[in-house]
Amino acid sequence: MKKLRLGVDVGGTFTDLVALDNGEILTAKVPSTPQDQSEGVMNSVRAAGIEARSVAAFAHGMTVATNALLERKGARTAIVTTEGFRDVLEIARQDRPSLYDLSRNRPPALVPRGLRFTVRERMGPEGEILPLDERSLEEAVSALKEAEVEAVAVCLLFAFLHPEHEKKVGEVLREALPGVHVSLSSEVLPEFREYERFSTTAADAYLGPRLAAYLENLGREVEGAGMPSPLVMQSSGGVVEIGVASQRTAACVLSGPAGGVVGAAYVAEAGGYRNLLTFDMGGTSSDVAPILDGRTLTTTETAVAGVPIKLPMIDVHTVSAGGGSIAWTDAGGALRVGPHSAGADPGPAAYNKGGEQATVTDANLFLGYLQDGAKLGGEVVLDCGLSEKALSRVGKELGMDTLQVALGVVQVTNTEMVGALRVISVERGLDPREFALVAFGGAGPLHACSLAEELGIRTVLVPKAGGVLSALGLAVSDLRRDYLRPVLSTLNELEIGELEDAFEEMECGAAKDLDSPRFGRRADLRYAGQSFELMVDADELEDLEARFHEVHERRYGYRMEEEIVELVNLRLVATVPVEKPGLEEPEPEGESKPGRREANFGDEKTWREVPVLDRARMGRGSEIEGPAIVEFPEATCVVRPGWRGIIDEVGTLVLESV
Amino acid sequence: MSERNLDPVTLSVLASALSGIAEEMGAVLIRGAYSSNIKERRDCSTALFDARGRMVAQAEHIPVHLGAMPEAVAAVMDRNPGAGDVFALNDPYSGGTHLPDITLVSPVAAGENEEIVGYAVTRAHHSDVGGMSPGSMPSSSREIYQEGIIIPPVRLVRGGEYVEEILALILANVRTPALRRGDLRAQIAANRLAQTRISELMERRGKETVLTAFDEVISYTERRTKEAIRALPDGEYEAEDFLEGDGTTDEDIPIKAIVTIEDDSMTMDFTGTSEAVAGNVNCPLPVTRSACYFALRVLLPEDIPANAGTYAPLEILAPEGSLVNAISPSAVVAGNVETSNRIADVVLAALSGFAPADLPAQGQGTMNNLIIGGRQGGGWTYYETMGGGQGASNSGPGPSGVHVGMSNTLNTPVEAFEMEYPMRVERYELLYGSGGAGKHRGGDGLVRSVKVLEPASLSLLADRRRHPPQGAQGGEPGSIGKNLLNDEELPPKTSRELARGDVVTIHTPGGGGYGKENG
Repeated sequence: MKKLRLGVDVGGTFTDLVALDNGEILTAKVPSTPQDQSEGVMNSVRAAGIEARSVAAFAHGMTVATNALLERKGARTAIVTTEGFRDVLEIARQDRPSLYDLSRNRPPALVPRGLRFTVRERMGPEGEILPLDERSLEEAVSALKEAEVEAVAVCLLFAFLHPEHEKKVGEVLREALPGVHVSLSSEVLPEFREYERFSTTAADAYLGPRLAAYLENLGREVEGAGMPSPLVMQSSGGVVEIGVASQRTAACVLSGPAGGVVGAAYVAEAGGYRNLLTFDMGGTSSDVAPILDGRTLTTTETAVAGVPIKLPMIDVHTVSAGGGSIAWTDAGGALRVGPHSAGADPGPAAYNKGGEQATVTDANLFLGYLQDGAKLGGEVVLDCGLSEKALSRVGKELGMDTLQVALGVVQVTNTEMVGALRVISVERGLDPREFALVAFGGAGPLHACSLAEELGIRTVLVPKAGGVLSALGLAVSDLRRDYLRPVLSTLNELEIGELEDAFEEMECGAAKDLDSPRFGRRADLRYAGQSFELMVDADELEDLEARFHEVHERRYGYRMEEEIVELVNLRLVATVPVEKPGLEEPEPEGESKPGRREANFGDEKTWREVPVLDRARMGRGSEIEGPAIVEFPEATCVVRPGWRGIIDEVGTLVLESV
Repeated sequence: MSERNLDPVTLSVLASALSGIAEEMGAVLIRGAYSSNIKERRDCSTALFDARGRMVAQAEHIPVHLGAMPEAVAAVMDRNPGAGDVFALNDPYSGGTHLPDITLVSPVAAGENEEIVGYAVTRAHHSDVGGMSPGSMPSSSREIYQEGIIIPPVRLVRGGEYVEEILALILANVRTPALRRGDLRAQIAANRLAQTRISELMERRGKETVLTAFDEVISYTERRTKEAIRALPDGEYEAEDFLEGDGTTDEDIPIKAIVTIEDDSMTMDFTGTSEAVAGNVNCPLPVTRSACYFALRVLLPEDIPANAGTYAPLEILAPEGSLVNAISPSAVVAGNVETSNRIADVVLAALSGFAPADLPAQGQGTMNNLIIGGRQGGGWTYYETMGGGQGASNSGPGPSGVHVGMSNTLNTPVEAFEMEYPMRVERYELLYGSGGAGKHRGGDGLVRSVKVLEPASLSLLADRRRHPPQGAQGGEPGSIGKNLLNDEELPPKTSRELARGDVVTIHTPGGGGYGKENG
């Protein structure tokens, strides 16, 4: 019987699998295979010993698209654009990347100068200004043939409002260049501001051939093994069928981080928590994201590897600081941490793989939060002596003892994390004190209580499956498609009926793409004259304006009710919810005696012996009193003094500040 | 150097908290603003000052705002500010830079007795402040009175309440009052945010710790700047360059700098620079200071924060009444946007004598200010500055179509432009090959052609139309820029009336090359 939901997440180092079976979680972790990520995917299925016949759904998150952008290893891509506007992708917004480092260049445009072609035509705000010149189109076609490109982005001015020319160019190209991937800006992102639209469209074309080939191959292997065709995670936090993903590749760029946020939202909701800040701290970087009323938030203001991609993406804020970040002293005598990272190789000094610089992990080890001699994924054994040596070297430069340095490194790191969490809460008009902090990733639970104290957060959640939360998120992700319609009109000129009609039309279209979807209506609004829009819920059209004033005030601290409000876009989010299985945590099997070790929490500058508990031996109802340490399979949680915890009925360690 | 009272950890933690507040102020201002100069092009800056008027943290979006804020705070401190007040000013001779930059200064109060512990400052380029031409960037002004309404430091908000008369007076003197109101409101919101955030920080960390951090952050930065200057060889180098006309004549105007380094201090001396001129390319001292700070910053490690300490080791000598230290009522509107670039060029040229090998060749050295305004539909003004070629450097070719010096504003998207103005962009692309040749090529300039669809007025303030950006280490100079009205070539700085259908075309200069081409 088919009942298993699989989520397989390909990360930089490991490929994780989660199988959900009526509330039970089965996991597997295998090394990733960067050459062909699908190999690792199939390995994870074999490692988990899953029977193909029992799989009901197979969801997949990957970094193929992100990596292709980062390494600039996409297709040979051309652009066809309006005559006179050849270099929009290179000029970008004309700002330089660094104010004072005058020799720093921007990342190269996805389409080099030699592959930029133009056609004579022009649309303006009101429609056609210059008809599409067939001859210039023919010339562009033959130039494209000669250039032997794999993909073409068609990007004409004002195509977001008047797509006729662009559609015509697209038709001609698709016919004349069989096998070449063609992306139209009016299809990828029908939104004004040419640079951002062209950039998103160019990314779509650039990624199209590689991603399509990868997904096709994966689909063949998965189906060949007798499992259902894979669903692919998009940056928006919802999955789509493989065929759609191949056609909308720019929407899958942040496939990876999206899974973790969805997973955190799911686990927390299972335990009754709906307002969350997620905190995923790894070796080199950390991701934070807000979740409001159980819903992940999306933004359209993301740039990946220097390429703006204005499609809905889960609102994840990333800082390049993690367990591997290196501590150093600058010329002014301040203790600094990062942005340089020791990575996994050579890694922190404690790894004994040749790294001599003190890292955040070394500080955590020295303070007793991590176990001296602990084995990490295979041959790496943590050596506290090496950490101490590295930290004391920093201490000599600062005139501080090793303990002060270790506490300082942790504090400076926490400041950076607090800053990141403030960006996604306070700067979004959200009060962090009303949220619970969900900590995961290898280092998240080590720092969570301190961050919570700093932000006034009273609840910290550490999910049982924290090591494979992304894969879990995949397994429970809804099918999702996003639709956009440009409007650009002041609200007072629009009848509610018109908007209702427009939404219904979009919904009809969506109903053809998805099987009885649920709809979420949104609108991008601004005060007439402003340049940035705010996305507002538009399920109740009568309240649209009032909701906008409210959201504006929350975000920017003021409202202007006498001003005219402008509607820029209508958005429709269509989802087909998957059933979210409940999670169950068994009671602990008998009493287990906690271990003990010395740790230092900085408050009294004294070392104290604290209990060390093994999460595997705990179960529903197990209680903890801080200070204590809880060891998870892939992470360690520090329960600071003043915190008390209990394992809830879904297996999450719920910590409350007393 | 003050005594150190904070440990290195607390210092690091609070320094990042303070710059975080300045950044957040900037985000609020940009997001809420109405002027496209602010919202699209980020022509604004935000900063925190301590109670003594020293800058503690700044969010820099635009280098030309770097050094010009302390005067604004000093001018407000002279006027007995109280909690809940917000002062507005734009007078270049009393804390401002040029009239379109309106600065709002709010005292930050702490505790029940509302002691003033510092100041929050926002400065933003408003798209019109009245005066003789739409956009308030006339190319031919001869006195500051022609350039717009002059606002000395006055209370726009007193004890939390708008001073409606002042607001009414300002709005009555500008062409687009509704936009001004929106922009000012966004600035006030940003200043208020600083008050909230400082209060929160003091609640968490303790007032005394935060106040100590103000001192420490400044002295920490000063230590690092001195360190960097000490690493350069002692000596004295000079350089000279020219500005091409002042809008009233087309004569070259010399700017001269002598840079001296002695141990850990630096002097920039402008003796020998032209007297103030009849046109509007004069600089009030704060603008000159910004240009000097910019040149210094280019030499410093990038992670040194911007505050009073950064610039303490630098002395600037600018003769009073000269082009670089103009006195009232000299016209100054273009000093900020054009002369500042040339000052930075001259100082960097002199600094290259100290041989930091990675200084690039000269970039376009102008902002190519284009201002077009019309009367229809309640009146409109459009202001744009344009990128060009950056100089190539030892590490590679110069970027193309970017701002290189005292500005880093974004462009106005063609699609936003055409929906907002009765104008059409006919061409906007790079001028391939306009960067200077060399082992590494200079970046290319760009061309932007704009057709007006109804009668309008044009003001142009540009430079490097005769003297090209120079190459470095044997590289060739970049191409000069060009201004065209239909087919007619215009001078670097000019004003014209435009008829419906006229096309204004700007070619921006290319950057200098680096190294010999076949060397």
